[in-house]
Amino acid sequence: MITVTELTKRFGSKTAVDQLSFEVRPGVVTGFLGPNGSGKSTTMRCMLDLDRPAHGTTLFDNRRFRDLQSPLHEVGALLDAGYVHPGRSGRNHLRWLAATNGISRSRVDEVLDLVGLTSVAGARLRTYSLGMRQRLGLAGVLLGDPHTIILDEPANGLDPEGIRWIRDVLTHLASQGRTVLVSSHQLSEIALMASDLVVIGQGRLIEHGTVNEFIDRHADRWVRVKGPAVKSLSAALSAAGGEVTATADALDVRGLTCGAVGELAAAQKLVLHELSPQTGSLEDAFLKVTAAAQEFRSGEVVQ
Amino acid sequence: MINVLRSEWIKLRTVRMNWILGILAFAFPLIITLLTAFFNGDEASFSAQNLLEVLAGTVIVTTLLCGVIAAASITGEFGFGTIRPTFAAVPRRMKVIVGKGIVAVAFAMVLVAIVVAIGAGVGRPLAEGQGASINFGEVSTAVPALVGAVVLAGLMSLAGFGLGLLTRSTPAAISILIVWPLIAEGLIGGLIGVITGWQNVAQWMPFNAGIRIVFVNVADDPGGPSRVISGLYFGGVAALLAAIGAVAVNRRDA
Repeated sequence: MITVTELTKRFGSKTAVDQLSFEVRPGVVTGFLGPNGSGKSTTMRCMLDLDRPAHGTTLFDNRRFRDLQSPLHEVGALLDAGYVHPGRSGRNHLRWLAATNGISRSRVDEVLDLVGLTSVAGARLRTYSLGMRQRLGLAGVLLGDPHTIILDEPANGLDPEGIRWIRDVLTHLASQGRTVLVSSHQLSEIALMASDLVVIGQGRLIEHGTVNEFIDRHADRWVRVKGPAVKSLSAALSAAGGEVTATADALDVRGLTCGAVGELAAAQKLVLHELSPQTGSLEDAFLKVTAAAQEFRSGEVVQ
Repeated sequence: MINVLRSEWIKLRTVRMNWILGILAFAFPLIITLLTAFFNGDEASFSAQNLLEVLAGTVIVTTLLCGVIAAASITGEFGFGTIRPTFAAVPRRMKVIVGKGIVAVAFAMVLVAIVVAIGAGVGRPLAEGQGASINFGEVSTAVPALVGAVVLAGLMSLAGFGLGLLTRSTPAAISILIVWPLIAEGLIGGLIGVITGWQNVAQWMPFNAGIRIVFVNVADDPGGPSRVISGLYFGGVAALLAAIGAVAVNRRDA
């Protein structure tokens, strides 16, 4: 269990993390989401005592990080796969890391095998791709077989096989009762592996709960109707209070239930090929919730 | 602490630049000393003192290179970001800083001890083979000078390590470490000498004073501190640099 309480971090006059409190429970993957510059990485650094917070605490099973006797056996963290010396080999990188906590050389070879880097373990890290460095970083996380895992954008640079692999690894680790906190911009990936979410914006907590609750609360819902003469149903749906959007072969109806739409179609003796409830994605919900907290906005794409 | 020392030793020996600097630091004084012994050994005036002076003088370069290795051992961590996984693995930062400092200082002292042992041990028969008579017992300051070289290596590493902790930048730390003793202290000493009339200021500047530890005959350069005072003075400066740097790293964000 990770317990973050009123964490605050300032850089000069800018407050990067502002009174942030949340809990990460064991047994599930928790997604840590927020727009660029929202303070996710700073929060993670503060949690690990790498950045000194102005205020607040982070407890790992009721202990401060600095009080952990063998941190690699308790908290495995990967904040940036680029934190390596390019002149060292992958194996030597893991060896010095393992040595800090008295972890054996044989365990280094085990985790190299686990992440599929055994064949390039002797190569200098400057020759590694970003995806290979991510795998090496994960090997470092797994060195001490920790019960808490913190990863910042672990899927960056991974190929589709790698992304699926990391998803499987993290869900497997969580299923063993470990606490797993993962930040990512790949919302589809978070939707596939996370059960809980912590969403922040401009350093403040926006939402904390399960993924399903988050989507239920914030994602758009509508009814999709398809049929050979479905366009003729449009006026009746509007008259019943529905907000109708016509697409090429269907109507999307907001404000009415599936049942209400079905009854209206039956009253007009219309054949329907589809009558289905639709729900927006995690991405839709995330963009809606964080709209006000976006620090950097993209311009509109001219079609 | 043993784990940290083991980890820092792995780090030190798995970077190619350290090997290059280490080989250079090892080879430079030996090549000069042994060539001098071989080619000048046939001169009637070539003595144990001459051999020791060449060895001690060239070992100063070795100690500077050891300082560079020590500085880079910490600045490289900040430059490549490896300080973060290091502190995430060992959250008690002082443990890492002390461990890293011990490894850098010990490496330098062992390296210079080997260099002076080989320089003196091989230089003597080489020179004697050319006809010279080398008796280190005739030079009363031989042992203090050679031990001083080993001590200077440790202190120079400590100073370099301190500068690395303070600057967090490899170019800045190395520039200060090289430029300050070779140029800045002479200029500052000269300037103060012109203003105050005290002509021995440069000999009392920290690095110049420190280098006096390896002088075979300190009395030949009067006006500066004695060998022991030099060691204590430069040791104090190096320890102060390292202590301020350690406190700064401990307080600041990694």
